[in-house]
Amino acid sequence: MMASQPASGGKRPLPVSPAARAWTRFLRHQLAVGSAVLLVVFVLLAVFAPLIEVVLDIDPEEVDLFARLEGSSWAHPLGTDDLGRDHLARLLRGGQVSLAVGLTVALAAATLGTLIGLTAGFAGGRIDDLLMRFADGVISLPLLPLLIVLVAVDPAELGLPEAVTWDESFAVWRLVFIISLVGWPGTARLVRAATLSIRTREFVSAAKALGYGPIRIMLLHILPNAASPILVSATLAVGNVILFESVLSFLGLGIQPPVPSWGNMLTGAQELVWEAPMLAVWPGLLIFLVVIAFNLVGDGLQQALDPKSAVASAPAKN
Amino acid sequence: MIRYIILRLAQAAAVLIGMSFLIYVLIGLMPGDPIDLMLSADPDVTPEDVARLKAIYGLDRPIIERYVAWLAAAVDGDFGYSRLFNAPVLEVLLPRLGNSLILMSLSLGLALSIALPAGIIAARNPGSLADRFINLACFAGISVPPFWFALLMILLFSVSLGWLPAGGMGNLDGGGFFDRVHHMILPVATLSIASIAAYARHMRAAMIEVRREDWVRTARAKGLSDQVVERRHALRNALLPVVTILALDFGGLFSGALITETMFSQLGMGKTIYDAILGNDYNLALVGLLLATLITLLANIAADIVYARLDPRITFVAEDGAG
Amino acid sequence: MRAFGRRVLVLAAVFGLLLLGPMGDANRADAQDRKRLVIGMTQFPATLNPYIGSMLAKSYVLAAMVRPTAIVGKDWLDRCMLCTELPTFENGRAETWTVRDPKTDVPAGNTGVRTTYTLKDDLFWGDGTPVTTADVVFAWEVGRHPESGVASQKSFEEIIDIEVVDAKTFIVVEEKVAYRYSLSGAFTPLPAHLERDRFQDPREYRLQSLYETDPTNPGLWNGPYRLKEIEKGSHVVLTRNETWKGKAPAFDEIVVRTIEKTTALEANLLSGAIDYIAGEMGLTLDQALAFEKRHGGKFDIEYVQGLVYEHIDLNLDNPILSDVRVRRALLHALDRAAISEKLFGGKQGVADTNVHPLDRIHTDDVPKYPFDPDAANKLLDEAGWTERKRGIRHNAAGEPLALEIMTTAGNRARELVQQVLQSYWKRVGIDVRIRNEPARVFFGETVRKRKFTGLAMFAWLSSPERVPKTVLHSDYIPTEANNWSGQNATGYSNPAVDDLLDAIEVELDPDERKSMFGDLQRYYASDLPVLPLYFRAQPFIVPSWLKGIEPTGHQYTTTLWIEEWRVE
Repeated sequence: MMASQPASGGKRPLPVSPAARAWTRFLRHQLAVGSAVLLVVFVLLAVFAPLIEVVLDIDPEEVDLFARLEGSSWAHPLGTDDLGRDHLARLLRGGQVSLAVGLTVALAAATLGTLIGLTAGFAGGRIDDLLMRFADGVISLPLLPLLIVLVAVDPAELGLPEAVTWDESFAVWRLVFIISLVGWPGTARLVRAATLSIRTREFVSAAKALGYGPIRIMLLHILPNAASPILVSATLAVGNVILFESVLSFLGLGIQPPVPSWGNMLTGAQELVWEAPMLAVWPGLLIFLVVIAFNLVGDGLQQALDPKSAVASAPAKN
Repeated sequence: MIRYIILRLAQAAAVLIGMSFLIYVLIGLMPGDPIDLMLSADPDVTPEDVARLKAIYGLDRPIIERYVAWLAAAVDGDFGYSRLFNAPVLEVLLPRLGNSLILMSLSLGLALSIALPAGIIAARNPGSLADRFINLACFAGISVPPFWFALLMILLFSVSLGWLPAGGMGNLDGGGFFDRVHHMILPVATLSIASIAAYARHMRAAMIEVRREDWVRTARAKGLSDQVVERRHALRNALLPVVTILALDFGGLFSGALITETMFSQLGMGKTIYDAILGNDYNLALVGLLLATLITLLANIAADIVYARLDPRITFVAEDGAG
Repeated sequence: MRAFGRRVLVLAAVFGLLLLGPMGDANRADAQDRKRLVIGMTQFPATLNPYIGSMLAKSYVLAAMVRPTAIVGKDWLDRCMLCTELPTFENGRAETWTVRDPKTDVPAGNTGVRTTYTLKDDLFWGDGTPVTTADVVFAWEVGRHPESGVASQKSFEEIIDIEVVDAKTFIVVEEKVAYRYSLSGAFTPLPAHLERDRFQDPREYRLQSLYETDPTNPGLWNGPYRLKEIEKGSHVVLTRNETWKGKAPAFDEIVVRTIEKTTALEANLLSGAIDYIAGEMGLTLDQALAFEKRHGGKFDIEYVQGLVYEHIDLNLDNPILSDVRVRRALLHALDRAAISEKLFGGKQGVADTNVHPLDRIHTDDVPKYPFDPDAANKLLDEAGWTERKRGIRHNAAGEPLALEIMTTAGNRARELVQQVLQSYWKRVGIDVRIRNEPARVFFGETVRKRKFTGLAMFAWLSSPERVPKTVLHSDYIPTEANNWSGQNATGYSNPAVDDLLDAIEVELDPDERKSMFGDLQRYYASDLPVLPLYFRAQPFIVPSWLKGIEPTGHQYTTTLWIEEWRVE
């Protein structure tokens, strides 16, 4: 119902197969389709960033002290940053990191959430209570301050070998791990709800009667039928994760320079806001566009896959 | 009901004690220490000084031992000293909690006063132009990085237009009340942006849901005007889920306050916790986080109770909480 | 629903009014006849007790209210503040004595020094009590007590006794003659008549001190100002101290406001909410440069190169860096002058050694390493890093010339410089990777325990004529065995330098000392255990009507002379 087209306006006859029906419904959601296209473009830009750099003959790491904080020009379409590096190239590289973190965490969190949701829904009783209470707790806690504590923990004290912690990409992986730890409850709730309704269906009872083990039933019979909510919540999660990453990086606790991310590119921008205001605009604008696009695609998917529940949905907001 | 509340409060206490241990250990795992930092800041401080000071502050004892000592004192009402401020932690935290609550309630008020009408208007005619516009605006509000929004506000209102201060709590004794408000406009706007969007979406969904219910249709069939039905019946029932979400969202509000207060140099809880964590001020970070958690838990319990009060269909079973 | 619409309208109107309301007051600061000065800075003093904790913000505020007996003056020479005359051997206020074993009374083989100070007779605490030797002795007792929580104890421990001659005159006795004997008694007296009570349990002193519990008590302060109001984390208000007999300050009140975000600090200066940004803890250099471009006319902006020495420590245990040719090549490869010019507006001159150019003992006669990529390449070739694969040099064994540079995460200026350095080194085939840590990890673990493998970029805060013994002497290399004591993080060990450091410390002749310091600087610059970068500049942004602020450049803040600030 949040759609750009009211659901009641089904003038054309819908195709028969559920997947094809969903696809048709998705295509009617203009905003979602536009967002999906935008996201594809962003992902392509990030993937082909090195190629683009070669074509435009720019180097994101080339420091030029004689060209600091320049405005836009043919050589530097978006100008240069405070070290004379091409801002466009930095944005492309930052996009690689931000998108990679967003997608990885969403995947990890969705996996974790699915496992927990399946277990809770299938097992029921005390286990269900416990897991869902835990999920509620995680959602309602003041997450950001807790994440800051987690990020600040010394990995060496946890017994991780120095070879691991001294790697440049360690900070990225740590961030992925930590955000995944708190990102699962949304998915878990949806999967649990789906599991509860599927659990009572005939084919599950049949499978039970045939003596299949619970793990087999969960994975082979329930999981495929809960695919829609998983897909929707994972899509919505990507946007949230990118927001989280940007906040932590902005506060200096996420991705560390010289590895650029859209979040940490804004850290320095605040101090330069008088001199080079556009440095504060571009990275934020990209975060905004990507996050809203993921949210809209998630909305579109939800309506396409499960039109009935779409009304009450709202992406979780941390 | 009473039994239920007591049970929930006991649960909350257990959660708090568990959290306190977890956070204490986690903070203990953060390397470095403010006393070590003094070494680099002051050439006259020697490593011997550092060892002596650590012993004075009890930092040379194992972490479990320190935690037990802390907990024992906390039960007696002594939550320890903040090292960043050299004062009892509650003395530091309470005024800042006050500032945060002012900031949070102002932005909550602002959020509701925009979100509720917007949600209602959108729900009146789903799919209409107004609905679609509000919907898109909501998505924008949920998706905008709050610190970036704050940066844009500073850019527009402080740098370009010069209307509003870029930070701080107010001039000293200069402007009094109005000055304080002047300094709070940008922080309140920043903190409420995401809430406006979230609440409006919930309000819209709830209104649509309620409008479909039989008794609303009946009321309308009886000849009551659309507006009367909306105001007298539908609104009250639609507010129910929104109130719940509002209370459940309290933890998120603390997270938002952390960003807002840091960006605009507001002396609130969020910023204090952030500074305490970065400055390795054990007690301050710990008690700050616990205080934030406590308030969040209480808000959640309150939401459940309010929900039960307003909605006769719900009864409590002491075992598993709210249905 | 119209009701809702109306409510929104009313709300919008209220917000609009609030927004416009205070606008008319923007120029309030001008209207108050400049009886009050509002200073902005980025840090808030955690405590106001002169001896607890150690931070610049505290020193800055305290210097207006409570003064030490002697200091380093604006001219970088030792000066009296509360005392009448500094002790020297020439004026007879200093004399040596033979140290004897306390039990056997046999001479122990070393010589000590006794220095006599007399306090000025017009010094009073804010409650009218005169400042006397009792206050000096009490401060020493607090300072040397191991449980009192004093930040730096060494100088108090070196004093074995303070002999009270009369209410104003005391003799400081030390068992060792250090060249800085004139400043043996240079510390801040504490009001014994108020604080002694609080010191009954030394462990509790840091919490029970009146500076904590009753900081607005006038009796705690003896400077031109005393504390009127304190709002932790936000501001302090100082008011005239009625018992101050020195030069009367021009302002009735001084307000020191803390605004941590420099952007907000700058905005507040422009709006008139603050009058002046302290150079000691204010804007970063590049912000000040940008500010000068836009608003230079209304403010006098002075850049002072301070005693904060930015440098890169090299871990000399690293086989690559143990070769002095590589160390010299590292420095030749950098265009430090261009970095200073482009990033810091030329205000941060390039350092050749660890000694500040304004320091009496500075010498210009040292080996220098100007930007010279050819020389760098030549040195690296000589050192065996001949083969270049994908731009990076390798040695005969096929090992790459790869190093790691670390600094404090979140320090924007350092992170910028670091990335510039990285790109300069890349050009001569050195692969330098960046890995940064938060300050507390970096200083608390990495530097202190020598955990960095290659380069560590940070700053030392120094003082004039300081003997860098803990930084350069081989006895001060931190190891697990010595419990990580010492600050020689490079692991530099040169017997000649060790001897020189020991000798300078006890050399009493100023000229001889200067020449020995000269030798030390030459060793430093030719061995290059450390890559010198520059001395950090502090921007003082002073409104053109405010005169009399004379930045010192060293650790003693401008507020020690706050009574000379005036409106013109």
